[in-house]
Amino acid sequence: MDGNLEISLDKLPLKRVDFIDENGNERFPPDVSPEEKTLSLIRRIDFGWAVQKDEDGDDKDEHKDKKQKKAGKDGSSPWQWQGMVENLMLARQELSVIIDIISTVEANDAVVVTSITKPKQLLNESLSDLAVSAATKLQCYRHLGKYFKQSAKGLEQQVSREARFYGALIRLQQNWKVKRQRMAASAPGNESFTIDLSDNSSSDPTSGLRSYPLSILRVEHDSAGMLALNVPTKSYRALRFGFVGTALECDGVETECPGKLNDGSADGEDERVAATHYTLCRLHKAIFDEQVFDFISREAFSLTSGVNLTGIRENFLQLRLRQGESMSISLMSTSQDDQSVDSAETQVAETEASPLALQALAPENEGIPDERIRGPLNRACYEIYLQQIFRDHVFARSKNRHTAPSSKPTGPSAKDSPSLLGHFCLSVAHRIFSSRVLKKLENVVSRTPYLQLMSQPAWNSRISSWLLFMDVPQSVLHGGSKTDNHPPKWRKSRFCTKVVVIEECIKVEGEGAPNVVGLFKESAEDITTISRYECDLEDLPMIILQQVAGQVIWWLHEEALTVGLKAARDFLCLSFELEQGESLSLAARVDPEDPSGCISWWLVVDGGFPGETKLHTDADTKNDYRKFLGHLSLDVLHSTVLDLVTLCNSGANP
Amino acid sequence: MNKGGGTGLGSVTGPTAAAAAAAAQKQKVLLQRVDLDIGNIIDNFSQLVTVARVNEPLVRNSQEAFMMEMRAARMVQAADSLLKLVSELKQTAIFSGFASLNDHVEKRIAEFHKQAEQSDTILSSIVDDAAASLKELESRYYSSAERIVEPLEN
Repeated sequence: MDGNLEISLDKLPLKRVDFIDENGNERFPPDVSPEEKTLSLIRRIDFGWAVQKDEDGDDKDEHKDKKQKKAGKDGSSPWQWQGMVENLMLARQELSVIIDIISTVEANDAVVVTSITKPKQLLNESLSDLAVSAATKLQCYRHLGKYFKQSAKGLEQQVSREARFYGALIRLQQNWKVKRQRMAASAPGNESFTIDLSDNSSSDPTSGLRSYPLSILRVEHDSAGMLALNVPTKSYRALRFGFVGTALECDGVETECPGKLNDGSADGEDERVAATHYTLCRLHKAIFDEQVFDFISREAFSLTSGVNLTGIRENFLQLRLRQGESMSISLMSTSQDDQSVDSAETQVAETEASPLALQALAPENEGIPDERIRGPLNRACYEIYLQQIFRDHVFARSKNRHTAPSSKPTGPSAKDSPSLLGHFCLSVAHRIFSSRVLKKLENVVSRTPYLQLMSQPAWNSRISSWLLFMDVPQSVLHGGSKTDNHPPKWRKSRFCTKVVVIEECIKVEGEGAPNVVGLFKESAEDITTISRYECDLEDLPMIILQQVAGQVIWWLHEEALTVGLKAARDFLCLSFELEQGESLSLAARVDPEDPSGCISWWLVVDGGFPGETKLHTDADTKNDYRKFLGHLSLDVLHSTVLDLVTLCNSGANP
Repeated sequence: MNKGGGTGLGSVTGPTAAAAAAAAQKQKVLLQRVDLDIGNIIDNFSQLVTVARVNEPLVRNSQEAFMMEMRAARMVQAADSLLKLVSELKQTAIFSGFASLNDHVEKRIAEFHKQAEQSDTILSSIVDDAAASLKELESRYYSSAERIVEPLEN
């Protein structure tokens, strides 16, 4: 039944696998009609083999003959496809006839089919057949080899891509919260990753912090299989503080960020991870700034905060301080692409708000350069300070709640200020006020050569203090006793005056103050008398000068007493008693507005009591009784007093 | 990775029991997948080797050529499936290694605390330096000749 066997080859109802999907399921082609099936069978006829057979010129069995004929015809004209198709059609018809015959014969028992022995092949024929088959198989294996190589290459790439991706992910995981999200609908293994930037360390509901949609970042594979962050636009925002009416510097663009990291063109894995890390840091900072702004916005709207909100727009708050100064707090984009839009918006806001603020500022800031109060450096200080007090207020508080309550010296305290924003406003107002105080003090000191100013940092945002001191020359009588390590306690070489500004209240305290009590208490305890004043900004120079002049008088008085003069000390006047009830007075005149010197001295000869001495600014200097001495230094004053000793002695002992 | 490795699971009670059972089940599934994929590769490879023989009926060789392609494709597919499994294992290792994650977090927290302390120290030293410098500068300025001359110029 060799013939049957040959025919049944094409008759096999083979259901071939069309393809295999990713899950390994075999997919079969749709059922085909018998016509198409026959056609496809014909298409599978091995023509090469037939051509070879044709060349051999040997007749095989009847089926092969048919094929040989077809192939022989086709071989003569290989390019005439039409003819080949016709021949194939003919072959198909013949095959159908043969199949019919065979099925008829098989069905009919009466017919006996005798077996036809296949003619035995010659050795060379069978060997050549075998060689062709072996070559075909070899070709198949080579093809498979190529296929495997390609697949292996692809798989290797996939392995290295995944190694890079997961390596980067692990390194990011060391610093950030990386989360895995499984898609319910997708197949397993198709997870997506997110990085959670939200800070839940302040999970305190009373802190009022809300989570931000921006805090969840999607991690994706980019085209090269590397890790890429899906950062929404307008994400990089920074807190911006400013005084209304001043031009806002556009230095918020983070220029320190290397462009190499920004544009994502970094090749190396390390650079890529570093760039991602940097991006995440920036976003984290932006989120923190948004939290700060959100917090102070809500405080600004609450009635108990005690701040004066005068302007509001998107991401922009304008607040009025006590002295009529206005400040603005805004959120500005710091990334390059968003900068133009946001800065334009803010500029509009600034220019709209400026006329009012300038009007309010005009009388306040006379003589004070604006740069001194609100330079760019100060602006950064305020931004940092706002961030720091927010952090202390919200994060540290919630953390300390579980441990132990700790007092923050720079943070807002509940009793002083109702809110964080209120504390911040008070601090800013204090800074402005204290810079004005400092200006006044510097004016006074610059016109009083023997006076020195020293800052005394209080390390508190609402307290400033300065020390004004004056070193007096060593006494002549005590000059020789410098080696004495125990000078009299009351012998002072330095007089100090302390100026403390708490919020917007000035307190002046100093020793050796010009008080009339000293007249009646000429004892050593008098030295330690410390006077305290509270004054306003306008009176401050006068108070300071009176204090200093009083100290000079006090010192001269002590010196005069040391050398044996009969001297009396009054408010700003030192009187020496001459004979016959006459007195000679050295009087100080203070004038903060005098450009050549704030403290000037007069010599007054009077017959009456020292207390009756009166100073007249328009006094005639030629008057014998009142002589203007000018702006004397301490040394000159001291020598003047010593001269008076001679005068008095000569007067007393003519 | 090897949590809930199947040993002693019966004795685990409480809320972790379900998780342990789920982990064991997952491990079982993963092992099954590995077995299936490797079995696939071996089977297909043996088939490929088997069909290397040149058969007498010539048509059969063509048939086998198709079969070889199919077997090769199935081998590659099984290898890809194995890779996916490896990737899944990597993810599990990254996201489920809580012990190492916690250790690392603790370590980082300690580092940050140390850094904060260092920053505080630096800040306080800066504060001291600034105060000292300010004091020195002010005393130098007020005792300098420039400062004496200044009011006269005014």
